Amino acid sequence: MSGPASSNKGLPNYLDYPWRRRGLDHDRFPHRNLPQAEPVEWPGKARVALWIAVHVGHFPMDMPRTPFVAPGGVDRPYPSYWDYTQRDYGNRVGIYRLMKALDERGLRPTALMSSAVATRYPALAAEVAASGWEVAAAGVDMGKLHHGGLPESEERALVTRAVKDLRGAFRTPVRGWHSPAHSQSMRTLDLVAEAGLDWVADWINDDMPYSVATKSGPLTAMPLAWDLSDQRLLFQQHMDTSEFVEQVLRAFKTLYAEAASKGGRVLTLTLTPWLMGQPHRIRALGALLDRLLEPAGVWPATGSAIVDAWRTK
Amino acid sequence: MLAEPGHYDYAPYTGRPHIVWPNGARIAVWLAPNIEHYELEPPDNPRKTPWPRPVPDILNYSHRDYGNRTGFWRMADVMAKHGVRGSVSLNVAVCDHYPEIIERCCELGWELFSHGTYNTRYFYDLSEEQQRAVIADSRETIRKYSGQTLDGWLTPAITNDETTQHVLAEEGIKYTLDMVHDDQPMPVKVRNGRLISVPYSLEVNDVPLFQLRNTPVARYTAIVKAQFDQLYAEGAENGTVMCLPLHPFLTGQPQRIAALDAALEHIVAHDGVWLATGREIAAWYIEHYYDAVSKWLAAGTPGGRR
Repeated sequence: MSGPASSNKGLPNYLDYPWRRRGLDHDRFPHRNLPQAEPVEWPGKARVALWIAVHVGHFPMDMPRTPFVAPGGVDRPYPSYWDYTQRDYGNRVGIYRLMKALDERGLRPTALMSSAVATRYPALAAEVAASGWEVAAAGVDMGKLHHGGLPESEERALVTRAVKDLRGAFRTPVRGWHSPAHSQSMRTLDLVAEAGLDWVADWINDDMPYSVATKSGPLTAMPLAWDLSDQRLLFQQHMDTSEFVEQVLRAFKTLYAEAASKGGRVLTLTLTPWLMGQPHRIRALGALLDRLLEPAGVWPATGSAIVDAWRTK
Repeated sequence: MLAEPGHYDYAPYTGRPHIVWPNGARIAVWLAPNIEHYELEPPDNPRKTPWPRPVPDILNYSHRDYGNRTGFWRMADVMAKHGVRGSVSLNVAVCDHYPEIIERCCELGWELFSHGTYNTRYFYDLSEEQQRAVIADSRETIRKYSGQTLDGWLTPAITNDETTQHVLAEEGIKYTLDMVHDDQPMPVKVRNGRLISVPYSLEVNDVPLFQLRNTPVARYTAIVKAQFDQLYAEGAENGTVMCLPLHPFLTGQPQRIAALDAALEHIVAHDGVWLATGREIAAWYIEHYYDAVSKWLAAGTPGGRR
């Protein structure tokens, strides 16, 4: 038969592959196959380090819609009281429920905190400090995204301001960084290291920490769950609380089993006060925590404690 | 623009020549892990923007990277446990970037076929010469790293252009997966040479299920089992094909891997199942049924309801 013959001239240079080589197409870290990584031994020979990371974000009602809206960001017409107050509920009410549930079980999470939360709500900052939570910098607020279109000076100012304000509000060291919405420019990692931080939790490519190169020395990348986060499952994917619980337990079972032969693993339980702090969910969280703490060999730890243990392996 | 692909005429699901798979099997089941690399800074394409966020979209980039660092290895172990081989839908640049992954595939006796060079290099608006160059690159890269011939094809991100299937046939590709119009292989009408389609799936495919349809984990197993059970039953009358496409960055996650394990356990427990590769299915079909089905199609699909 006869068929169509393409008349188009093609795309110039489209088949040039400048990064086609051994390893990744950037120079931040080498490729690693997790099963072949050197086994890690956690304190007390624990099999799974349980990292609880709480997203304590501030979502301004006038947040920009460009270059994209952060997941959970304001996406209804201005002025969206719906979005603003639902998020703000987390910082007023939900987080206190999380604190209670965690306190009762002796668990100390890492708060990934917008610096605007600390400056706007000193009473909350004081409670977080009194509860012994670790605080990591999560940018200024959820409307101030780090992305490729941001001029260097503006991005540096955002990092500096977030770190300065959080260090001013908390006596315990602020060592970690999480970019709002897991978003970075090509230079975010350099700016984070330049600001004196030593670990970062944005890339979602591993179950274990690894080292990342920057212009100001290495950072440790921590595996912050996204596909398994309450925001992804409950908010973006409209799943039921029971599905979130089931998936966390499934992940735990897999990682716990792997740790028997491959060395310690990290399970990150990513929680959002305006979601898991809701009255109808908080008991499910308590029950989930009890299930996770039941087996022997679970080490609940802050992000910095896991980073330190991983570095000394 | 074309109003239809033009690669096949209508063929009802009744009255077809009776397909029987090797050893009397009623269903051919094949697994197609998509082993991919999405570039951090891909070039622009006029019809498709690679990343939803501005470059660098480190969230979505690193999500895909999870598959190569972590998910693939877990998935390969589960498949090996059940004795199920994979037919890899391979972005062939993975051979250069992560040769250890290719070594593991070869060690497990998996087939490698081409899914283009990178999953961020689309076929939209490529000239035929450029399409040929990509296919030649795939053929050479797969040969170099595995010694295998290039027999199958799935266009990266299913971005084939109007001429792609013709070019595939002229370049000696035996089977294409770009069309999901049937549960049996089918001859593909091309301007030169011979090409067949082998069933792929966008239904029991983890990308639509987990990324687009928000499928709960246990529900994934139930969907895969239901797909198998029905095609298995129908296969008693006329042999069927079930493809289970996989993406290590999704199904290889610790919260999901047991769902694949459970689905495979169900499938391998049945008699009359041919656990095949894409290449094996294509070869059996071409040898035993290509002519009979072509004749039936040329005669106007006689037979009808039985």
